[in-house]
Amino acid sequence: MIRIENLHKTYRAADGREVEALADINLEIGSGEVFGIIGRSGAGKSTLIRTLNLLERPSAGRVLIDGEDITGLGSEGLYALRRRVGMIFQHFNLLNAKTVADNIDWPLKATGHTNAAERAARVKELLALVGLSEQGHKYPAQLSGGQKQRVGIARALANRPRLLLCDEATSALDPETTQSILRLLLDINRQLGLTIVLITHEMQVIRTICDRVAVIEGGRIVEAGKVADVFLHPQHPVTRSMVAQSDALAAASFDPAHAYMSDKLRGTLVRLTYLGDVTYQPILSRIMAGATVQVTILQGEVSSIKDVPFGQLLLELEGSEDDIRAVFAELDRHQIHHEVLQ
Amino acid sequence: MDLSVIDWSDIWIATWETLVMTGVSLFFTILLGLPLGILLFVTARRQLLEQGVVYAVLSFVVNVLRSVPFLILLIVMIPVTVILIGTSLGVEGAIPPLVVGTAPFFARLVENVLREVDRGVIEACQAMGIRTHRIIFGALLPEALPGLIAAVTVTAITLMSYAAMSGVIGGGGLGDLAIRFGYQRFQTEVMVITVALLVVLVQIIQYSGDRLVLYFTRK
Repeated sequence: MIRIENLHKTYRAADGREVEALADINLEIGSGEVFGIIGRSGAGKSTLIRTLNLLERPSAGRVLIDGEDITGLGSEGLYALRRRVGMIFQHFNLLNAKTVADNIDWPLKATGHTNAAERAARVKELLALVGLSEQGHKYPAQLSGGQKQRVGIARALANRPRLLLCDEATSALDPETTQSILRLLLDINRQLGLTIVLITHEMQVIRTICDRVAVIEGGRIVEAGKVADVFLHPQHPVTRSMVAQSDALAAASFDPAHAYMSDKLRGTLVRLTYLGDVTYQPILSRIMAGATVQVTILQGEVSSIKDVPFGQLLLELEGSEDDIRAVFAELDRHQIHHEVLQ
Repeated sequence: MDLSVIDWSDIWIATWETLVMTGVSLFFTILLGLPLGILLFVTARRQLLEQGVVYAVLSFVVNVLRSVPFLILLIVMIPVTVILIGTSLGVEGAIPPLVVGTAPFFARLVENVLREVDRGVIEACQAMGIRTHRIIFGALLPEALPGLIAAVTVTAITLMSYAAMSGVIGGGGLGDLAIRFGYQRFQTEVMVITVALLVVLVQIIQYSGDRLVLYFTRK
């Protein structure tokens, strides 16, 4: 659906220096996918998502949407493209002078839909979709943050886009509201087959709804792949540090050199990672039952990434080398990934 | 103070003339100043229709007109006014200099009010694929409405005091009355009454403007 090729963006800062905001970005995003871009502030994620509807013009490279290079579009082509691509924002950006219903109606009315009855029916449908059927007559100032973002979503969907861009859409919301907005986005993704590209600095957002993720740092994509692969086996230091800050995935970035018990460890430190059905099976107990190895669980989590259950455990194994090797062979047999840390 | 010396019919006529001068000038000030203000806003750097040269020229003209003291403008404008409406005297004669004096002021106010509109809102409209002129008239101006009403209120009051000043060159209205009777014939009573009436009129305009602003504010 989207292909980004050798994308660069440089701009001139106030002091005259050239600043490279994006450097050689290459990404491919599939139709119907929820794709996340995560990075710290200033990493270039906002610039990147804004090149997808040309709110930001790239300095070099191509952005293809459905095979069409949008960087070459004239103004008419650009209007048409933007009507096919919805966007929601961190601060919602609703029109304060218009009611909720008029906010949703506005993109329809302003892009040449002259049949008022049809528009009213569409607005009603959208209000129902985002769960605001009773709020149409209110003004944005009378709504909560979560409700405002729902209006933002309804407005973005008015022209039936196939792609939705989310620019830090949940960053101004509390955790509970964030979850409800993410659920709504996921529902829309499934019901309408809508492709979603989102940027965020919150791991939790990526874990909850994304299929794949790209990590951006200093204007470059430093790591990309399936969410489980990237977060459970982080390679780049930036990814590791992000994972480390998320309590839930601390085992993925465990650094024995810094751990307080490093001098107390006697055995072999092993990290196990497993995904899918195996998560809820008593495999560990089966493997250990036959072995003479002593096991201590030091850290771990059993949870899910999007709908995929996973487990990640940090174990200390004490026993003879042969016995430990036998345990590893059993782990391999059950497709449990293991990694010796020390 | 002896109020019996006052010719009340003169006072009411002068009040009416002041209202006409202010009202008609306000109409033309908005007619010229609003588009000028919008143009200043949209052609400025990083705005919807960025046009550096256009902005620089407009901004320069506005600054020049705003730097001429109104009393000087009244005199300088006399030949132009005669060409435009045949006379430089009376109520009609005062209107062209009033408009030329306040339209640039109002345009700047409009520009500032439009700058206060959240950039993100305009950007959201652009992201929806809405054409620029529709964004200006359908989103930008409605969002700025309370601020625009406040700018009109300030401008109306400025016009009223300028209109009084036009009495110096024979403009008519309360200012004219105050100068001819209150000042030149030493009728302090007339001076006091005209000033009191101007105070009342200004209060009414400000109060009504504030009420309208409140009525249209949705934040």
